[in-house]
Amino acid sequence: MNESSIKIADALDRRDFLKVTGGFLLAITLDGATNRSVAQGVGSTNITTYLRIGADETITVFVGGGEMGQGIYTGLAMAAAEELKVDWASVKVEPLTAISSWLSAGSGGIRSRLPTFLKAGAAAREMLISAAATQWGIARSLCVAGGGSILNTLTDETLTYGQLAPAAALLPVPAAPPLTPAAQYQIIGTPAARVDLPPKTNGSAKYGVDTFLPGMVFAAVKHSPVIGGTLTLQTYTNGIYPKPGGAIAAVALRPLSGGDYNAVGVVASNTFLAHSLANGISATKWTAPADAALRDTNTYMAQAKHLMGRGAPYIAETFGDVEAGLTNAAQTVDLTYTYPYLAHCCMEVLSCTVRLTGYVAGTPSAGTCEVWAPTQAPNTTLNTAATWTGLAKTSITIYPTLMGGGLGRKFEQDYIAQAIQIAKALPSGTPVKMIWKREQDMANDQFRPMALIRIRAGLDAAGNVTAWNCRHVSPSISKQRGATLGAKGDGNATEGATLLPYSFGSRLVDYVVHPSPVPVGYWRSVGYSLNAFAVESAIDELAIAAGIDPYLFRVQLLQNSTDPLAARTLACLQDAAATAGWGTALPAGRARGIAVTMAFNTIVAECAEISATATSIKVYKVACTVDCGTAVNPDSVEAQMQGGIFHGLSAAMWGQVKWTAGVASASNFNNYRVLRMNEAPAITVNIINSGAPMSGCGEPGVPGIAPAVANAYRKLTGTRILTLPFFPGATMDGI
Amino acid sequence: MITLNVNGQSYQVNVADTSTPLLWVLRDILGLTGTKYGCGKEICGACTVLVNGQAQTSCQMDVSSAVGKTITTIEGLAAYRLPNDPAGAPGVGEKLQAAWVDQQVPQCGYCQSGMLMAAAGLLKSKPHPADADINEIKNICICGTYQRIRAAIHEAANS
Repeated sequence: MNESSIKIADALDRRDFLKVTGGFLLAITLDGATNRSVAQGVGSTNITTYLRIGADETITVFVGGGEMGQGIYTGLAMAAAEELKVDWASVKVEPLTAISSWLSAGSGGIRSRLPTFLKAGAAAREMLISAAATQWGIARSLCVAGGGSILNTLTDETLTYGQLAPAAALLPVPAAPPLTPAAQYQIIGTPAARVDLPPKTNGSAKYGVDTFLPGMVFAAVKHSPVIGGTLTLQTYTNGIYPKPGGAIAAVALRPLSGGDYNAVGVVASNTFLAHSLANGISATKWTAPADAALRDTNTYMAQAKHLMGRGAPYIAETFGDVEAGLTNAAQTVDLTYTYPYLAHCCMEVLSCTVRLTGYVAGTPSAGTCEVWAPTQAPNTTLNTAATWTGLAKTSITIYPTLMGGGLGRKFEQDYIAQAIQIAKALPSGTPVKMIWKREQDMANDQFRPMALIRIRAGLDAAGNVTAWNCRHVSPSISKQRGATLGAKGDGNATEGATLLPYSFGSRLVDYVVHPSPVPVGYWRSVGYSLNAFAVESAIDELAIAAGIDPYLFRVQLLQNSTDPLAARTLACLQDAAATAGWGTALPAGRARGIAVTMAFNTIVAECAEISATATSIKVYKVACTVDCGTAVNPDSVEAQMQGGIFHGLSAAMWGQVKWTAGVASASNFNNYRVLRMNEAPAITVNIINSGAPMSGCGEPGVPGIAPAVANAYRKLTGTRILTLPFFPGATMDGI
Repeated sequence: MITLNVNGQSYQVNVADTSTPLLWVLRDILGLTGTKYGCGKEICGACTVLVNGQAQTSCQMDVSSAVGKTITTIEGLAAYRLPNDPAGAPGVGEKLQAAWVDQQVPQCGYCQSGMLMAAAGLLKSKPHPADADINEIKNICICGTYQRIRAAIHEAANS
């Protein structure tokens, strides 16, 4: 119960390590191509992780950070343990300082690295077998690995991994160790207790905000209250800003782009004081952008409507003649969906701790930089630190901490650059921990884009979809960051609108870029959550128009489809419908709605059971069925589906950030409502292990819930919800 | 200089402004970082601690008003017991922690200190809470662990 917190491993030194434990350390590169043991040196910059077998029989799997609740530490360690043939209970996990090629985004934390960790475990196992065979003077084929030891099948003697580790460490690393067939997995596919949970029940888990260093000072940040505003004076020397009374320092801060100062960092003896002093910086210090009056939700929506009709689109997907299909259709539907900006609101606000030692500004070679950060992108953070300090990367150390939620927000680097700028203004060697106030975090997010999505579709007399046209208008995340869009536009905008598994006679998905300058970013499941609401709502309307049950209508569209994912999609849909009891009687005042989506190659069907009043919807149950190919840790897959559904449901019910003359409507949870205990539906999760290549689980639970609930609401009330959120302006109950 | 009783230990605390919230004294002065900042407005409950056994948010509680009271934070939960907890058996704090692991409750885990302290407060007043009693916990979890929290509270209450 009182296990100490997961600690960050210092850069591992082979000789120190061997001196201390006499064990075996295997370094692994991401592609697995150049495994090398300690004996062959660990100096490669391509090293992704290490596997350690201690003389005391402890098995330690090192990971490069990235734990934000999705179970990455556990899932990857399970893979190494599986091939190593050790008991799961003997495995420990430690995060490393930042190493290259480590990123937690796109629901890829486990799936992208699983082969590496499998291969690492297998390589170590084969080396241990070789060491045992040599010691006994028998053939390797007479040695069997299991339970953390090697069995001599001639004598029944055993040697433990700890006993064999020093000899194994001197052996060459096999380039292609044999891998265990999936059917024989003992650990993968069984629910495993997550290694990061005990510290999360006793206060010892260390998040970014929990970094604590001797002599540390505390910082807060105040941004321009008008988005895009800058400090009125831009002449501060080295960023030194007139400090408020009681502050240790104040620093004018530049945005990540390096442009004009857009924020002030205030340093004090504790966080509360820093927050208070920063909060007191007057609105008169800021210059609003010239177009501030137009930074307004109504303007943005008017622009979107204009672009919907007249914008020059990128063609994301086209097949057949959609206009002819619509013209010749027996019936058509034409629906336009409106989406607000959304904030991430991770429970842990943005935070970063920096210590510059021996650092002399303007002398790039002098000193070191250490950064403790809750970051989804430690290697990008290393680049950020190099840019903002001018130091060589070899003089910089990034310590990725646990994240109190990432959700896509902690992929960004704005807060990292701020903390470094603050540290540069402090005496050398002074650690500074910056924690944003919640109000800053909500209003200065990189929001999920606002959007307007129109779907026109046609049906023939038999209920076949003859034409499907989806036009998506939203700001482009990629374009806003300077990318030149390709012929298909921004894939993050149209994902979930393209590659639909249904049988459509013709289809056209196009995209128009909206010019709003409000910063946009990657919100859990990105474009999928936008498009799924429009697509799965429109499918329901087509079913209703065709006079066919919405579930059976989807079944028909999938059975008639030649799409490669149609069969798996159908299986998920049927399982969720069966679990929910689709078609069976419900208490008066309740209805069910269903949706099926694909995101990051994972298919999820969700069936929601609801009741409704004029001001709220109550979701009683959600039956969720997921096919992610292979579930490494089924309990974590279940948790991620539950979490994704909650996240998507909060957003659908109440999530919105509106803009009035450049000022965000959201400042805290009182005006950015989220689900609480009494509103939480009971969610059942069924997992289909289809054997398809493993796919992601962190995000795909999100997109389906909004349309599933909207479809149930349509069934219950006859009203189609076209605007998100369902209940705008609702404040937190009881506040 | 004020004296705080936190987790059974007496701390002499030098805090210039005694209207500083208990949360930030715990975190920034005592280094007890298990108690979390979430909203600063008594909405999200991430900063929940026990004050004389009652669950209370600490983000707007002047540290001066904690003087003379018994404060329990997440770091002290393992040792936290109710008067009726049988001697020699795990106390309510330990049972909650065990149930939290058994039900695999946390995801990111950030809100869980506050959730556990809220649950400890609940079990003091309602040793066998109904679902409606658990619904009175208004703490926010963005990961959406409510379903497992509910199961864990029932498990702890019945163990």
